[in-house]
Amino acid sequence: MDLLTVENVSKQYTGHKALDDVSLAVPEGSIYGLLGPNGAGKTTLIRIINHITAPDSGKVILDGHQLTADDVAMIGYLPEERGLYKKMKVGEQALFFAQLKGLSRSEANYRLRQWFDRFDINNWWNKKVEELSKGMAQKIQFIITVLHEPKLLIFDEPFSGFDPINAALLKDEILRLRDNGATVIFSTHNMSSVEEICDYMTLINRSRNILSGRVADVKASYAEGRYDLTFADDPSAIAEAITPMVQNHVIFPRENGRTRMSVKLNPDAQLRDLIEIANKNADLRGITESVPSINDIFIKAVEASNQ
Amino acid sequence: MASKIGLVIRREYMERVSKKSFIITTILMPIVMVALMLAPALIMMMSTTDTKTIAVIDDSGAIAQYLEGNEEVHFITPDQPRDSVMADDSLFGVLVIERGILTGNSAAKLYTNAAGSISIESNIKSQIENIIETEKLKAYNIENLDQILDDVRTPITLQTFRNEQGKDESSSSSSAISYAIGVAMTFLLYMFLLLYGQMVMTSIIEEKNNRVLEIVVSSVRPQQLMMGKIIGIGLVAVTQILIWVILMTVISSIVLPALVPADMMSQASAFNAGTIDASTLNADPDLLHAISIFGNVGYILEIFGYLLLFLIGGFLFYSSIYAAIGSAVDNIQDAGQLQSVVVFPIIIGLIFAMTAASDPNSTMALVLSLVPFTSPMVMMVRIPFGIPSWEIITSLVLLYISFIFMVWIAAKIYRVGIFMYGKKPTVRELIRWASYK
Repeated sequence: MDLLTVENVSKQYTGHKALDDVSLAVPEGSIYGLLGPNGAGKTTLIRIINHITAPDSGKVILDGHQLTADDVAMIGYLPEERGLYKKMKVGEQALFFAQLKGLSRSEANYRLRQWFDRFDINNWWNKKVEELSKGMAQKIQFIITVLHEPKLLIFDEPFSGFDPINAALLKDEILRLRDNGATVIFSTHNMSSVEEICDYMTLINRSRNILSGRVADVKASYAEGRYDLTFADDPSAIAEAITPMVQNHVIFPRENGRTRMSVKLNPDAQLRDLIEIANKNADLRGITESVPSINDIFIKAVEASNQ
Repeated sequence: MASKIGLVIRREYMERVSKKSFIITTILMPIVMVALMLAPALIMMMSTTDTKTIAVIDDSGAIAQYLEGNEEVHFITPDQPRDSVMADDSLFGVLVIERGILTGNSAAKLYTNAAGSISIESNIKSQIENIIETEKLKAYNIENLDQILDDVRTPITLQTFRNEQGKDESSSSSSAISYAIGVAMTFLLYMFLLLYGQMVMTSIIEEKNNRVLEIVVSSVRPQQLMMGKIIGIGLVAVTQILIWVILMTVISSIVLPALVPADMMSQASAFNAGTIDASTLNADPDLLHAISIFGNVGYILEIFGYLLLFLIGGFLFYSSIYAAIGSAVDNIQDAGQLQSVVVFPIIIGLIFAMTAASDPNSTMALVLSLVPFTSPMVMMVRIPFGIPSWEIITSLVLLYISFIFMVWIAAKIYRVGIFMYGKKPTVRELIRWASYK
């Protein structure tokens, strides 16, 4: 079951196309990574999902119906560039935003007190925001985003500006929210965090969706038949012998008494034949399947689509 | 949806009303205003403490003995020779009256050792004129001259009344007082439009600058946010005025009767009703008139009622332009040039209001008090003079229609502007944004 589907959405600004026929489906209860270089159109897409701007064409379906202005109560959005009213007290401000999302004042107050207990920040309640450090303000922003227990959470670069301790805390909270049934869209260009927590991903480049799917599937599709072999001696002797069974091979410069060779097997070739030849002609010390990182996939896919 | 606007209004309002600066300005402003009004009188009182001495050298021999000193100046006729009198710099000055003064063939000359004073000069001039007049009359050898002169010189009081048909009594009016009230109200309006309009703009720029906007618009539509902000800040202005109205009402109905002597109060009300006997009048009519106006709670409420109506209309009109400008720029420096779109017409309105104050019934005054850009200021200055109510109603209707239009346009610009960062837009670009779907 998909909580959110985006169907053929396009958005044009004067002089440039921000989104060009983008479609994607976010399964309920998943963490969905929205990747893309700067200026690819991620923020525009997020604004459309948040009903801040309207698409020129295409539609957004949330929880089985077309998105309306009232649905913002179902969504929690933490923008990349975010701030708070500096002169306002923390507690008063959190109550204000919670009420904007449709919570009653007393309910908001009750839930806020729970969150403040969890983060152990009860003494911040009557402080003005300008007295808080950046990291403290970010915690408040996070609480404001999730307080009304939205079904759909959208985090735009949530970890930027967080110190490692708070980033870890935030990551745990995001995973906990997912486990409690929330669906999370996660926009970032921090690839390692995608690998750590995302179940699905979409890669947007130049206003188009160029790659979508389960993170594990995407990685597997880019891994096919690529292996790293490590030798104690010079493996160039075997290069000729394996030529019929590989599409290409690369020998890296010798390092710490080892030489690494990367090969991509032909689809019909067998891994054990490769090992046999390598073992016979050189001093083979190790072999691993090389799974590309999302970072490599990102660069590769973006470069391919830019050509 | 409506409750979201309500929340925004509440936030904007509370943030400002609970500030110390709001409370302080609300209290200080009337004090400063009263002080400004009293300052000239106080300065006069202080400056009259030292009496200036003027030596008179009277070659005609007809003037010097009749010159009368007052607390500001006194005259002496020195015995020393002319040159030493002229050289004496302990004197304020030397007045030389030449021989032919009675026949008008020569002039009186005042040599001063310090900066001259308009009041002294006019005092000397009128005294000499009076003395010459009396001298010449005496030359006709009329019998009982003094008695005749006393009889001829009767002080009169000019009272003006509004001739209103359908009312039993005509109400007293005074152009000087109307002028003062009109100008004061217009200045107040001008100040509020600029001050509170700019507050809307600054607040929008601030929101955009520290990116709290990004969080707010995920819950509230941009148009709702803009309207909430304008209404919230507008209510702060209204609150401030209402506090002053209450203060004035209290002063008018409790403090004024306690301060002003009872016979003056009764004279003031008799004066206002037009039943006063001029011969018993022993106070300045303008002062009586002022007392009767400040003592008239109904009149105060009426004038401030109009002020509020024009303030609300004018504020919504101008602050929506301010909002559009605020949404389009990243910082206040960039707003400078665009702001002239608002500041210019407001100042023009103020300048024409000053002209209209001296001739409230001119065609120009009428037209400008109907055109929305200038109408709040120009109409406000005319109202105390008592103008037909259809003019006021037409002006208000036009103002309110155009503010709805202006808010609509501003909301369109705002919606686009708040997501534009970096480039400083031109007025032309703002207008193009308004046409976006």
